[in-house]
Amino acid sequence: MTEPLGIRVEGVHFGYPARPVLRGVDLTVAPGQLTALVGLNGCGKSTLLRLAAGLLRPERGRVLLGGDDLARLSRRAAARRVALLHQSSPAVPGMTVRHLVRQGRYAARGPLGMLREGDDPVVRRALRDVGVEDWAERDVDALSGGERQRVRLAMALAQDTRVLLLDEPTTYLDLHHQLDVLQTVVRLREERGLTVVMVLHDLAHAARFAERIVALRDGRVVADGAPRRVVTPGLLADVLRVAGRVGRDPEGGWPVCYPDHPLPTRI
Amino acid sequence: MSRRFTALAALAVVLAGVELVAGRGMSPGAVWDVLGGGGDATERHILLQLRLPRLLVALGAGACLAVAGLVLQSALRNPLAGPEVTGVTPGAVLGAVVATALGVAGWESPLAVVAASCAGGCCGAALLWLLAGRGGGDPARTAVHGVLVSAVLGGLTAMVLLVRPGELGSVVQWLVGTTEGRVWEHWHLLWPWALAWGIAAWLLAGPLTLLRCGDETALAAGLPVRRARTLALLCAVALTAGAVAAVGALGFVGLLVPHLAVAVFGADLRVALPGAALAGAVVMCGADAAAQLSSRLLAAALDSGRFTLPVGALTACLGAALLLAVVRRAPSRTF
Repeated sequence: MTEPLGIRVEGVHFGYPARPVLRGVDLTVAPGQLTALVGLNGCGKSTLLRLAAGLLRPERGRVLLGGDDLARLSRRAAARRVALLHQSSPAVPGMTVRHLVRQGRYAARGPLGMLREGDDPVVRRALRDVGVEDWAERDVDALSGGERQRVRLAMALAQDTRVLLLDEPTTYLDLHHQLDVLQTVVRLREERGLTVVMVLHDLAHAARFAERIVALRDGRVVADGAPRRVVTPGLLADVLRVAGRVGRDPEGGWPVCYPDHPLPTRI
Repeated sequence: MSRRFTALAALAVVLAGVELVAGRGMSPGAVWDVLGGGGDATERHILLQLRLPRLLVALGAGACLAVAGLVLQSALRNPLAGPEVTGVTPGAVLGAVVATALGVAGWESPLAVVAASCAGGCCGAALLWLLAGRGGGDPARTAVHGVLVSAVLGGLTAMVLLVRPGELGSVVQWLVGTTEGRVWEHWHLLWPWALAWGIAAWLLAGPLTLLRCGDETALAAGLPVRRARTLALLCAVALTAGAVAAVGALGFVGLLVPHLAVAVFGADLRVALPGAALAGAVVMCGADAAAQLSSRLLAAALDSGRFTLPVGALTACLGAALLLAVVRRAPSRTF
């Protein structure tokens, strides 16, 4: 197990033409922490994740990964430190599971290294980690949504990074596969000491699996802390624009939300 | 996988044999004699100076078009991308037609035609590059602009032909795509170009395979997407220009053979690119042999001495039918 890597976001501003998305975000994620980002659609969660992965460059401020400014790293060098799993992925006709997972080695091997035959141990481990080695020869497009998401997770793991970012990894999945993916992430993070940040729409999942919840609204961090402290009726109303109650899970003790009705959103 | 390569290579050899005996004026026995070192001077000339270079040019051009098509479809993530819609093919045709109309190049001088069509192809690609935003950032944008550029260049070609109908016969053959009258000079110009750019395309197999997974995924995996796509498009343009300079605007090979190659060899382009080259050579060789055989049969039926069916007419007809099958089979997929 290698030393985990921390993320530091310092005064980051980012926007698309005529639409500011992030307006000064400061966030420090400790090495090995499991953090959930929550907020309404369009509040800047995914954008923050992309900035942290180095896929976007901040207009102002900077993103540091283990002390290095991401803006100074090449795309390949950044992809050796941080992997990002997108919420959805296009079809890849003719590609087998093993093959797709092998594509995760691009950053480590380089364009010419990808021409070499064979899997390295990292690919085999990634297939095993998410439990897909039995159907490694099947076509990705023939898999169900839940299976495909596991394969995508394996591809991100094949990058062998110390930071794993997940953008709504459970969207489009049924409850069984949602829990399956999240528990895999939790287990891997413990085994590997990965630093994990994930965007989650389901506050129940965030409250149950994350050590820390960071809530965004209008491009700013409005709440930050352990689920037991942060998940309150006030958070539901302010951040998710939902009226509801918050209780405790009788066994685990984590917060459980009982959402009631939507509140008007400000445009 | 190697069994599939072997089978395809065997098919290529068989079809090459068929192509050598398919033309008029020589019996299979005479062909065999010449290959064995015998035969009279005329037979030797027909086989060694006319049929053999024609066969090689057909093989080489088919391979170029297929590889160019697979590179384009992967880089643009578009199942309908082909050399025809990147502005290269129509640009090359326009270049050759303009050079002929101006009297700079005659159809008897391969080098001038090849140079003119290469220049035209590069101009077509450059036009696309300028219009679609440098570097081909957005695949859909590039594809749409490619269709536009192709239409405009096709229109310009028609205008030149209307103004200077000159050698209409051979130009029309060239517009459709033909291997008729290709000699060693064409082959000597084609193969080094095809080999160099083919190897360049194969070296890009890693990035291209990743591009097939989608831009977002490729970027997250560490690929500088724009740079990779630009290099890939450059290879595709060069290969297309080479093929068009050799055989004219031969349609559908570059569009359909890539689908065949991916179906047979999978989406790993390390394997699928050489596979596409082989498949393209096989398809082109088969189409040319079929074109020669049907020319012979048609000439006998119509009782006219000089009747030739250009191979491009055959690939266009067969290709349209096959394309329909591809589209029907996968109506909702992006690939």
